[in-house]
Order: sequence, then C-alpha cells, then structure tokens
Amino acid sequence: MSHVSKRTPSSAWRHIFIIFMILFALFPIYTVLLSSVNGTGALATGSLWPHTIVFKNYTKLFNDASIPFLRWVLNSVVLASLNAVIGVLVGLFASYAFSRLKFKGRKNSLRLLLLIQVFPNFLALAAIYVIMERIYHVFPSIGIGTTWGLLLVYLGGSMGANAWLLKGFLDSIPMELDEAAKIDGASASQIFWLIFLPLTKPIIVVTTLLTFIGTFNEFVLASIFLQEVKARTVAVGLESFVGSDFGANWGAFAAGSVIAAIPLVTLFLSLQRYIVGGVAAGSVKG
Amino acid sequence: MHKLFGGKIGLAIKVLILLSVTGLFSFMAYLALLKSEWIIAGVLIAIVLAANYIYLNPRPVAGKFLLPGVILLILFMVVPVIYTTYMSGFIYKAGNIITKEEAIHQIMTNTGLQPDANNTTYDMVLGTVGSQYTVLLTDQTTHQVYEGINGVATKMSPGSYHLNADGIADSVPGFKAYNDAQLANADQQITDTKESLGDNKYIIAQDANTAGLFIQTLIYDAKTNTLHNPITGATYIDGGKGYFVNRDNRTEQILPGWRQPTWFSNYTSIFTNAKLRNPFIRVFIWTFAFAFLTVIIMFGFGLVLAIALDKKIKFRNFYRALLILPYAMPSFMSILIWAGMLNRDYGSVNALLGHHIDWLNQVWLARGAVLLVNLWLGFPYFYLISTGALQALPGDLEEAAAIDGASGSQIFWRIKLPLVLQILSPMLIASFAFNFNNFNLIYLLTHGGPTNVLAGETAGGTDLLITYAYKTAFATNDQNYGLASAISVVVFIIVGAISMWSLRRSKVLEDMR
Repeated sequence: MSHVSKRTPSSAWRHIFIIFMILFALFPIYTVLLSSVNGTGALATGSLWPHTIVFKNYTKLFNDASIPFLRWVLNSVVLASLNAVIGVLVGLFASYAFSRLKFKGRKNSLRLLLLIQVFPNFLALAAIYVIMERIYHVFPSIGIGTTWGLLLVYLGGSMGANAWLLKGFLDSIPMELDEAAKIDGASASQIFWLIFLPLTKPIIVVTTLLTFIGTFNEFVLASIFLQEVKARTVAVGLESFVGSDFGANWGAFAAGSVIAAIPLVTLFLSLQRYIVGGVAAGSVKG
Repeated sequence: MHKLFGGKIGLAIKVLILLSVTGLFSFMAYLALLKSEWIIAGVLIAIVLAANYIYLNPRPVAGKFLLPGVILLILFMVVPVIYTTYMSGFIYKAGNIITKEEAIHQIMTNTGLQPDANNTTYDMVLGTVGSQYTVLLTDQTTHQVYEGINGVATKMSPGSYHLNADGIADSVPGFKAYNDAQLANADQQITDTKESLGDNKYIIAQDANTAGLFIQTLIYDAKTNTLHNPITGATYIDGGKGYFVNRDNRTEQILPGWRQPTWFSNYTSIFTNAKLRNPFIRVFIWTFAFAFLTVIIMFGFGLVLAIALDKKIKFRNFYRALLILPYAMPSFMSILIWAGMLNRDYGSVNALLGHHIDWLNQVWLARGAVLLVNLWLGFPYFYLISTGALQALPGDLEEAAAIDGASGSQIFWRIKLPLVLQILSPMLIASFAFNFNNFNLIYLLTHGGPTNVLAGETAGGTDLLITYAYKTAFATNDQNYGLASAISVVVFIIVGAISMWSLRRSKVLEDMR
C-alpha cells in the first residue's frame, strides 16, 4: 500500500517478467502442437512456424494396427484411476489412525513410514521382479507382466505417499468435533465415515488427482513390468515412438501427447481451485 | 445415515466383506498349496487370520484402519527393500544369478556334458515295456542297437530285436511303441531321456526321433565340494567368488557361476575399486549439486513470480492459469518434448536462437539443460507454495517495518524472505529429496549422458546416483544387481538421513497430540 508512488515502473517490470515466464511455459506446448500437425514426422523441423497443417499423425494413431494407442490410453486410465482411488482410501484410513487414534508405537510407525517412503521402489526392481514372478506362477493374472500386478506394486507405495499428507490435513480438523461425536456414542468407524470423510473432500480431490497424474507419468516400473506392446501404458507406448522400437517418430509422439494431455490438463485446470488451495494449505502448515 | 453405519446393516456389510475376503484368500491359498508355493499360501493364510482377528475383535481400533495399508506396504515395499539389502551382500550379476545347487545342476547337465568326438547319433523309438518308459536306439553308423530303460542303456544282440524297412530297431519282445497321441505328450520324458553306457558316457535324446552320445567331462563330488574332469584329470575348486576354478590355474572358470555371499565387498568396492570409485564420486557430487541448485533456482523463480503476481495486477487469474500449465502437463511427456526441442539438428530451441548448439552432448551444456528443463517442470509448484506462504505473512508486517524506517529491499531481504524460507523449509527439503532421486528427468532427457563410452565410462555427465544404480543393474552387459543394490542402499541411507533430520527440525512429531 505504501508503494503507490513506485507503482508504474514496478508494474511494468512485473508484466515483463510474467510475460517472459508465460512464453517460457508455453514454448514446449506450442512446439508439441506444431509437431503434431507437421507432415514430416520430425519435431517442428527446426522452424517455428507451420508450413502446412496435416492430421496424418493423428489418424495414424487410430488406424495403424501396430500401434494400439487406444489400448494404451485405456491401460493408463484404468491403472491410474484404481491406484488413485484405492491408494487414497488406504492412505486416508491410515492417516485417520495416525491422526486420531492412540496406539503403541505411533510416532515410530510414522517415522518408519517416512523412511521406507524415501526408498525408491523401482530400485528394488530385481526383488519386485522375483516376487511377482512367483506370484505369476500361481496366479498368472496378477503376476509379472500384468496391469493388476503393477497396480499391486504401486499400491504398496500408496500408504507412505498419502498417509503423511492426509494426516497433516486431518490434524487441522478440530478435536472437539470427534469428542462431541464420541459423547453422542459414535464409534471410531462412524466418526470416520460420517464426519471426517465429508470434511476432507477438498484434500481427497487434490490427493486423488495428484496420485492419478503421478501414476499416469510413471515410467520405469511400467516399462520393465509390461513387456507386451498391448499391455503398455501411454507413457511407455509414447516413449517407444521416440526411443528405439519405432525409430524417432516425433509426429506420432506429439499427436499422442496432445490427445493424452488434453483430458489431464482440462481436469487439472477445472479443479484448479482445489489444487491451489491444497498446495497452499500444505505450505503454511510447516 | 447413522443407522446405516452403526446398526445391523453396518454390521452386515462388515461381515459380508470379511466373509468374501476370507473365502477368496483361502481359495487362493488352496491354489498356491496345489502348486507347492508354501510362502504364498502362508502369506495369504496369515492375511486371512489377521483380518479376522482384527475385524472381529472390538479392541484394536487402530488396527482396523491400518491393516489394508500395512499389508500392501509390507508385501510390496518392505519385503523388496529387505531383499535388496540382502542382495547387496552377494556377488549377484549376469552369470552369477542362480544358487550354487542350481549352478552345479547346470554344470552337470550342460557345461560338463560334451558330445563325443565322432558325433555319434542314434535313431530313437519311444515306447513302453510293461509300464516302464523305454527307448530303442540304433547307432546310425555301426547299426548297433541299445535298449534304454530307467537311465541305463543295454547292448542288444542281433536277432533279439526287429528292424523296420529303414534298418531301425522298432520292436523287442514286450515293447509297445508310442502312438501319435502319446508322442504328443512325451516332451518331458524326451527331455529327461539320459541313458548311461558306463564310463561316463550317456545317450541323450535330441528330439523325438534322435539321440546323441555325450561324455560327462565334469563330475561333482559333494564330499570335497569339487568338480573333477575324468578325461584331463583336472580338479576344479570353489574359488570363493561364485565360480568353480581350476585348482592349478585359478583364472580358468567353469560357467555358470552362482550368487556368492560376500558381506560388504560390494560396498567396499565402491570406494576401493578405482573403476567404480571415480565415477561414483563424480556422480555423487553432481547429484548433490543438482538437487541443491535446482531447488534454489525453482524456488527463486517461483518466489519472484509470486511477488510479481501478488497484488492487484490485471489478468491475474488468466496469467495464473497459463503459468501452471507446465504443472498440469504429464511430466514424462514434457521431458521427452524438451529432449526433442534441445536436439542439435531439428530442435526448436536452436531454431529460436538461430544457433547450432549440441545441448545434450556436452557435459556442461547438458547439465544446464537438465536444470533448465527442471525449472520449467517445477516453477509452477514453487510459485503456488510461495503464494501461499506470502499470504500467510501477517498483513501489517510491511507497514510496521516501513514505519521503523526500513527500505523496500530491506523489508524483503531481512524480513519477508527469512519468514518465507522458514514457512517453506519442509517443502524445500522434500523437494531436495525428490530431486536427489529425480530419475524420470535424467533418464528421459539425457539417459544420464553424455557418456564417453569409448573411454570406458559407465557414468555420464548428468547421471544421478539413482540413474547410475539403475544402469549398473539393468543397462550394462554386466547387470550387476549386487553392486546396484549396494548403491541403492547408500542412496537410501543418504536420503533417509536427510528426511529424518528435516523431520526432527520441523518438530512435526514432537508437536503431535
């Protein structure tokens, strides 16, 4: 308020910086859009303007029998949705126990959880491989090479990833609320389902969305776990366009990226209010 | 609503879920038992017992909420971590994957079994005598006939067998040849057909119609734990490094090897073996530098942006929507796009600059590129949390400081920045830990490169510890799981220590109710 006199130059400086950052943010997005309508299959062919606009990269994704693109999208969506919903629910259960219930070793369990969480689980890949191979031997549908097996591995990390975050939010809900409910004779599970679940809606939305995006982006485990072309996720499938399998086919990659990104970005922007609130709330709790 | 969860219906739902889980898992345990997978069956039964105990018992309330997460965590997180740590104590790499028993078995049935010098081949007819699996073998050169039963081949005298039109023995008294249906199911029997001729010679089936003569050149003696070659007379002893080696010439190894316990040698080799130590130290330093620098840069840009967008500025919401787009884009995609954009020949960055720079193939440029791309990916998040932190500052702070005579820049550097840093320190530390292990960024953008393969380098200029470990385990010819596990454990200890330290600093647990 006291800077009114300086406002004009400062405001110009702000706009320049902001516009510079916006151009920086949009440049790759523009490039990928440009490449997706480029007929040569290269990444924007070293030019910043489109010469001709063609849609063959898009049609190729849906017509080429060797590219089961829709299958990849489906695999990713199924995997990411299930991991997000089940993972957040499991994390929510755990965080409720950590936030509200008294039990022996609570602090140490929380410490241990944080510690296990920082072990990147794909470095245990060889171990995971051995375990899932044995499971495959008995139950072929949930072992190595299957979406369900990969889901189980993802879910193994969900408690560590979500419990801490959600606990932070649950801690901010006043104790008086559940104490009053307890006096009314409510059990722990009633308090959880009837009081906490509705109150945590914003943070549930944020964590579910972030878990969904995180799973959608996961590359390492999926690329080693899912060998068959049909079983791949979008991330692994699209990488193969610019990796070795198909040669560097940037056009198809760009088109696939645009198709895969549109629903995610739409979802993200439409839930922006929740995300900004959730992320900002997380920042002031430390 | 209350009735639904508290009353009989709630109980019914609970019992129903518990019953179906019990039924399903018991059935799965039964299937596992049928295949003699004791561990899997045991785990499933343990889950059923734990679930029933915890959910039927009113007392362990916390257990009811923790059980599903704990089971998943133990099976797919804790067990792999423990197994990885265990593996780091072994020589465990390509050529040393199997156990010693399996290795001996393979040596006996593969390596130590050589075809004889004349490549003697037999025509083979499968069948049974009584109920006993039997093969009739006719030497293609000498036409001598053998009957193979129960692992022993016996010479047959002429006249005791019947020859078919091709001169192959196809019947002896009591012998019943396999029909087509039996032949179709005889794969395992054919694989197992190994009939001894004495003198370490064996007739071994090659396919359904032929067999060959093999000589056992390596024989395992369990008492002395040695291999013996009856032809050359050489003796091979357990060299202690996962191989049988010639007693008189220790460089001569018998393949395959096995995984050999070595305690800490994988760890010590990181620090003593110059070929491992030099890249490790370089990667170690770069990992710290990268994680530190990238957090500072992202935070710097995020904070300045938050300040720039702080107050009444036109189009604020519109700007914000555009600025958080990088956060909304799937990151694996963005990284790959950047990899293409930074390409020397067709990348749009060079097109924009009008230069011909090979961004990803020179060490320092590649490191700069990694920081630049991570800035793109991360600044929106830091912008958001910085905005949150700035809004959490007391509103009259600035005015109070101004009244005390502080200038604008003093207010920022001396008052606002320290407060914002304090508020955001948990996020900054978490981001440091995340970027310390930022596998996707490095692997998809540079593959850890540039790597001077000609100079025999295994680590590239932008490799982080985690990509280095991954390459060690999965991308080199060596596939050194033991060493990779050791590096993983080292990474784990470093990041774990940082996390514990920051946890203590932030006093989250001490403040816990």
